[in-house]
Order: sequence, then structure tokens, then C-alpha cells
Amino acid sequence: MANRRANFCGSDDHRIHRRGFLGAAAVAGAFAANMGVLNVLRHPTLAAELKRQQKHVILLWLAGGPSQLETWDPKPGHDNGGPFRAIETNVPGVHISELLPKMAQRMHTTCLIRSLNTRIADHGGGAALMERGRRDEPTVQYPDLGAIIARELGRADSQVPDYVSMYTSTEGRRKGTSGFLGARYAPMFLDKELMPSNIRRLEQISDLDHQQRGELRQVLGERFARGRGSNSVDSHNGAYKRVRGLMASDKLFDVSLEPQKYRDAYGPTQFGEQVLVARRLIEAGVPFVKVARAWWDSHGQNFETHLELVTELDHVMSTLLDDLQARGLLEHTLVITLGEFGRTPRINPSLGRDHFASAWSASLTGCGIQGGAVWGKTSPDGVSVADGEVGAGELFATIFQALGIDHKKDYYLGSRPIPLTNPGTEPIRDVLA
Amino acid sequence: MLRAFRGLLLCAAACGMLGLAATASAEELLPADRPIPAAVDHYIDALLTERGVKPADQASDSTVIRRITLDLAGRIPTAAEAKAYVESSDPNKRVQLVDRLLGLPEFALHQRNEMDQFLAGSDRMDAAWRDYLLAACQENRPWDVMFREMMLSEETKDSPGALGYLRSRAKDADRLTGDTSAIFFGVDITCAKCHDHPLVPDWLQDHYFGFQSFFSRTHLTKANFVAESDEGEVKFKTTSGETKSAQLMFLTGTVVSEPEPPKRSDEEKKKLKEELAKLDEQKLPHPAPEYSRRAALVELALQPGERDFFARAAVNRVWHRLFGWGLVNPIDQMHSGNPPTHPELLDWLARDFIEHGYDLKRLIRGLALSQAYSRSSLWLDGERPNQDLFAVANVKPLTPRQLGVSLELASRNQSVMPVAGDEKWQSFISGRESRAGRFTNWVEAPTNDFQVSVTEALYFSNNAEIVNEFLSSSNERLLSQLINTENREAALQTAAWNVLSRPLDQEELDLFQGYMAKREDRLPDAWQQVLWALVTSPEFRFNH
Repeated sequence: MANRRANFCGSDDHRIHRRGFLGAAAVAGAFAANMGVLNVLRHPTLAAELKRQQKHVILLWLAGGPSQLETWDPKPGHDNGGPFRAIETNVPGVHISELLPKMAQRMHTTCLIRSLNTRIADHGGGAALMERGRRDEPTVQYPDLGAIIARELGRADSQVPDYVSMYTSTEGRRKGTSGFLGARYAPMFLDKELMPSNIRRLEQISDLDHQQRGELRQVLGERFARGRGSNSVDSHNGAYKRVRGLMASDKLFDVSLEPQKYRDAYGPTQFGEQVLVARRLIEAGVPFVKVARAWWDSHGQNFETHLELVTELDHVMSTLLDDLQARGLLEHTLVITLGEFGRTPRINPSLGRDHFASAWSASLTGCGIQGGAVWGKTSPDGVSVADGEVGAGELFATIFQALGIDHKKDYYLGSRPIPLTNPGTEPIRDVLA
Repeated sequence: MLRAFRGLLLCAAACGMLGLAATASAEELLPADRPIPAAVDHYIDALLTERGVKPADQASDSTVIRRITLDLAGRIPTAAEAKAYVESSDPNKRVQLVDRLLGLPEFALHQRNEMDQFLAGSDRMDAAWRDYLLAACQENRPWDVMFREMMLSEETKDSPGALGYLRSRAKDADRLTGDTSAIFFGVDITCAKCHDHPLVPDWLQDHYFGFQSFFSRTHLTKANFVAESDEGEVKFKTTSGETKSAQLMFLTGTVVSEPEPPKRSDEEKKKLKEELAKLDEQKLPHPAPEYSRRAALVELALQPGERDFFARAAVNRVWHRLFGWGLVNPIDQMHSGNPPTHPELLDWLARDFIEHGYDLKRLIRGLALSQAYSRSSLWLDGERPNQDLFAVANVKPLTPRQLGVSLELASRNQSVMPVAGDEKWQSFISGRESRAGRFTNWVEAPTNDFQVSVTEALYFSNNAEIVNEFLSSSNERLLSQLINTENREAALQTAAWNVLSRPLDQEELDLFQGYMAKREDRLPDAWQQVLWALVTSPEFRFNH
């Protein structure tokens, strides 16, 4: 077992922060008991502290399937290794691709899972599996990670969205699904532009009329709901009640409001700007943000594609981690890199790598994770998992546990209990802080 | 077909019967010649009496016409239709209404959309599939015939629309197995894949893999045609680790014996492979097999003694669509561990459905004419009775298309619109119906425990389409009619009939009058806001 977790940086950072977290949570609890007397959220330092303790997830979704060999699991010296070297990181013994020099200097923050065997190697099926952690049943549509996090970490009356999903280029356009959790937890999906659809008031109606029109609707809505005994009707009124609050969150999506030095740091690319928006959103209390970067599907010219995309990922991801750290948010934010599968170790005649779900990698950084840990090992040729094989379920259980969510918790579909992960699934405890 | 059926052997006794909860014998049921509504009310009322529950009153005429029109034609009634119905004193008006709606082009459009939803779900389907469904709905093709067509149509160069169901699933045997058992037979057997079913003692892995065997030779060719090979077995590992070959076993436990697959020499195998590759290259379908397992399933599933799964699943689904709750819930868990609330009624309806040639229109008509269907959805005093008693109507969310077409009608100046049922109506309403497809971008399809998304609320609140198209002041829209009506109360009532299919009560009139009075300086805006509040009210959003 020990060889699976090759190294651990030994930092005590997260432990200290965990203690801090528990202490502040107890304080918050004491105040919450007296909510009638004192509004916690009006207490500036405490409100700030609570906000900081809220947990978040930023999912960097690498659409199309990134190559594990050109990212987290290089195979230098093997025929399958390709032209890029492996470099040392600041965690002794852990090597990653030379395309990730900045992340190599931040390896102590990040844990690598190098032994995913998820079996499904077509885009649609693979993405559905890795978004949800398991396959749908004919009549059970499972919620994806974002919807579950929105449900577990969001607040029912939240004035900010609780699941935001963005993408670059049309191949990355997968809206996400809240499955049986229902539309309350469906993503706010940013289509076409870096601003949610319909979040801004049309100029032709004044703000006051917009508000009072909504109040008129609410009177009708409440009259109708009385005596109908319907949660669906209540959810209709609930959705309209959230409209004004969500409209007020439009500024979160406006990168021009961000100081120039941060815009420069993330860079002027679409992916950079989206990740900067993701940081703005979680800082404001949004529990889950997905940024899908496309298109990693390098059946030909794999190395050119990865030179471009991995270099960008290295820059943007390391900027994000530094930024979160500086704001004290990293301990409460889990940053994930994941795609629908990896790529074949064998290089095809077009110098490409094809779909490959048998032995590939993902990364986890931040909340609840042991930075510097490496789980699992692939064979020297990269073709199979040599040690510590895990599937989508184990990865999801690990993510839930890292965020303090019990992965065995049941949801109910009618009277049928549906646990968060399929029965028998265990998290990778060795990478949990 | 006959050839495919050759060699069928039944061995139910050896395998044990399973699945269906004990069905009542024919002599215990009400006579078969009772009208459907009478049978429905007989059984529903019997359970209410037994439980000592007094049902809600019948809904008002305006609610009844709205409910029936939405359920049968997929749209709200026009103001003229609603008023005429409310004002009519003809004791036969409900029957006339139902029969008229069943004859309108919208009935087939809506029936097609409902089928598309449960057969295809969110799969991206081609136009040929939707055209196939529409043609079938227009002639009220029997459900068993449609099942045959979807399962057994001959693949051709033009890819017949009926094969859309198989085509979108043929790559994934698990999905094809699970979906087919759930959709056509009302049972989700996927839990029995990895282990014997935890909740249903009579479902074993043998059943899952037995059912899968009917589809195990079905696949998609390289040129995207549905094909079936003439060999290949399903093997599975039991929980005890033993490897078993699956038999061709239907859900009832009946096993089919089939002819030996052809024995081919290596030479012949190679030749066959080359022939098929050549067809793929020429973008042609593969030839049908001598013996089709899929055909064996269809034949068996529609046999007396076996067909109850098929008939009951269809009846329960239609019941669920009209009543907002099934006689068995969830509708894909129709097994012995989850009995119906009204077993005799389900049996009676299934028998009627079979005896009348799987006629969906007849079934819909019968349910829509029952008293149980037309109860009020309001329950103001005391605890609301459990929904499986059908003592009070369930509120049902509109589908995206129902909402789209209804919004179109609600926001029209109906005095300059074709009259429902007239000669210009058909092209008008099919145009509206097809435009309504865009609502799927913003509005979620109904599910159990349906919730409205903020995406929908934001769309209605801030999208330019709503105010510039539906709530615009162009001549064809209701807003222009309201602005140009002198009498404010009359205008408010016009709006209410258009949108809610009923007049406003005094309290509502006062509410709107008060809102208007504060905006005397910008009346067109005020009218637009009043209309907005009406079309975004849950009374419009739901079928109640």
C-alpha cells in the first residue's frame, strides 16, 4: 500500500487551518443559536469568516480527454513516452511532464490519481460517467457532481447561483444535469458569452416596474398554491423569488471589474478569464463552478495540441492556486482537473493518441486533500494500471469525503434509497487530509 | 414472422412465474362491456368508500375544459372554446368536447410529442423518427403494431424512422435491455444485472441476462444501420462466481428455444465478414438473419399469458399522463414487490385495452370521461388525501411544448386568429407547435417531483423574446387588444379568458385595477406587466 502514496510533502498547513475552521464553526454555532437577537451575517468579521469557511469546488474539465502522458503521468524513455521529458517537482520523487513547469513548483498542493480505469472510451459515455461518477440506469438519471455539490453545499435561499457551468469552444459544450435532484440544482449555464443568459434586466422596463411586476406575480402565485399541496407549484414560486437576487450577481461575471493585475496574471485567454470568473464566483459564495476547456481530442498531432493546451493549463491552474492561497480560500476550495478519459499510450501513425479509459490520471488540490500525495501506478508502458486501480466511483467518493460530505449518504427517489456513490464504493483514504 | 417463431417452447413451470402481482381472474372483474369511465369510477370510488375518504368536488367547467384540452390537444383552449363550453347547458357537452378534441390535428401532434418524450427522452433523433410517430398517431395505429414496427421494421437504405428507437440504443446492449424492459413492459430490471434483484425476490440475474439475450445480437453497423447477427451468446458471472450462459428468457420466466446458430467453416466466416464489410463500404444495411431473436421477443411478449406486462405498462403510462400519478408508481416498477393501488382496475383496463386492439385513443377517451379525472385539484380543509387515492386532482406541470403553444395562444389577439378547428387552423396550429420546440432550451420536461428551474424564471423575466414577441403590441397580439379596449374591467376579463380560460373574481380585479391605477402615465407598459404576471403565474404554468 505504502508505495501507492509515493510521497507526501509533510506540510502541516492544512491541519492548522482545519483547527481554525472547527473553532470558528463552533463560534458560528453559538451565534446561530441566538439568531433572533443577533444577525450573524451583519457581524462583519464573523460573516467574512463564515464565508471563508464555506466549501467550494472548481472543476477544470478537460473536454475531449487529455493525455496523462503529457500531463501527470509521463513515461520518459519508453517508446510510448513521446517527445516531452519528465521533470522533477518540489515533491521529491514525483515527476510530471515538462509541459507543467509551474505546477511542478506547486506539487506540494496537489494530489495525483494515476490509476483510473473507467472502461468507457467514447466521448458521450465517458463524459456522462465522469460527470456523474456512475452510469445512468434506464429510469434513474443521476445528478452530476455540480448538482450534488450545489445540493450539499448550497443554501436553499441563496442569492448567488449554486452551480455555474462555462465552456470554451463548442466541443466543450455539455450543459450538465441535475438528474433526479431536479431543476432546482441544474447549472446556470453560460452559453455563447461570459454572462449568464437573461440575468440582466431589459432596458425597456424600469427597475421599479420589474420588481413590482414580480410582486404582482407573487400574489397570484401564492393564491394559486394554496390548497394545491404541490411541491412543484412551490418550486415555481421559489424560482421566481430567486430572480432578483441572481440578477444582482451579474457583476460577479464581469471580469472588467477585476483589478488589472489579476486579469494580467490569469492572462487574456478565454480559459484564463473564465477561471478568473470562477474565482470571483466562489469568493462570493458559489459552491460549484465548472470550466470546460476544449478540445483535447488529439487523434492526430497529439504533441502540438498538448504543447498548447497543457502550457495554458499550467499557467492558469497555477495562477488560480496562488490566488486562492493568497485569499485564504484554498483550504476550503477543491480544485479538480478531470476529463472523460485519457489517451492511448501507443502513438498512432498520425502522431496522435486515441481514446483510452484503462489507465489515466486526474488531479485534486486544496480542500481536504493531502498535497503532494500520489495514488496508484501505471505499468512502465502506460498501458495498464499496475497498482491502486480506481474507477469513477472511488474518485467521486474521495471528492465527497474531502469536502466533508458522507459518500454513503442516501437520497430518496420515492421510497428507494440511492446512496451518493454506489454501495461498496470506498474513497481513496490515503490522499485525504 | 412465422419463421422467427419456429421452435418456440414454453417452460414457464420450470423457471417459476414471476413479476406480475397476482392478477384477478376474469369472473371477479366488472363485465367487459362496461364503458371505461364507469369501470374507472366504480373501482376508484370503491377504494375511497373503503378508506372513508370523501373526494373533492368536480372541477368547474372552465377548469375541466382547460384540463382536457391540455391533456388531449397539448394546448390551452382558446377563449372562445372555453366560453362556449362554460355557457353550454347541453348535458352531453363533455363527451362532445372530448370527441371533438380527439379529432383535431393537435391530438396527434401532442400524442407524438408524448411518445417521443418517453421513447427517445433526450436523445437527439432525426426528422424521420418524429415523422414516423406523427403518422402513426394520426391514424391511431395500435400500440402493439407500433411496438412491432419499432422492433422489427426492415432496415433499408433510407433508414426508416420506426427504427429510431433501436438505432439510438443499438450500440449499448445494457441500455437497450434496460430501456426496453422499462418502457414497453413497465419493469426496470437493471438491478438484477449485477446481483439478484434486492427488492423483488422473483427477479434473478437469469431474467436480466435472459432478457438481454433477445437484444444481444442487435448492433449498429459501421454505416449506422440497425442489424442483427445470427450468432452470439450472452454469458454472465453469477454472484457466486460461476459463469453461466443465458437462456432466451422473457420477464415471465418463459424460455424460448431457438435453432442452433449456423455452423460456418473458417472459410465461410471470412467470406461473410468480407461481404458485410463490402456492404458497410457501400453504405448499405446488412441482411436480416434467418432466425431473429428480436422477432422471438415480440412474438412471445404479445402472446396470451405473456402480454400482460405489455398491456399493463401502456395502460399505467396513459393513466399516469392523465392523472399525474400512476396506478403503479414509479411507472417502471410494476413488479410483485410494488403492487397497484387499484389492482382490479388495472386488470380491467388492461383486458379492455387488449380486447380492443391496443387502441390508445379509446383508452384516453375513456379515462378523460371519468368523474375521477375531472375532480378539483383544490383541497382546502384538512389533510390532503394521499395522491394514490385519486380523491383530488394532481397538479401537472406542462411540457415545454405545451407551454410554448399555450403561451402563443394566450398572448394572441384571438379576434384576428384562425378559429380552432377551421380550415386555416391546421396549418396555423402546426406552425405554432413546431415553433414551440425552442422552449425545450429554457423549460425542463416534467418528471416525478418536478421542479421549475431558475433558468426558466430568468428567461420569462428578462428575455427579449417574451416582451418583444409574445407580449408585444403588434396587431396580432393580445396586448394591442387590451390597450385599445375602453373599459378596463372588460379588458382585464378578456386577458383572463385568454390566459387562464376563466373570468377574474372580484379580489383579482381589485388587485389588477390597483396595479393599473398606479401607472396611469404608462398604461401600455402597465398592461404588458399585467399580462406578464398572468402568463408567469403557476395557474398558467401547470395543468390543474
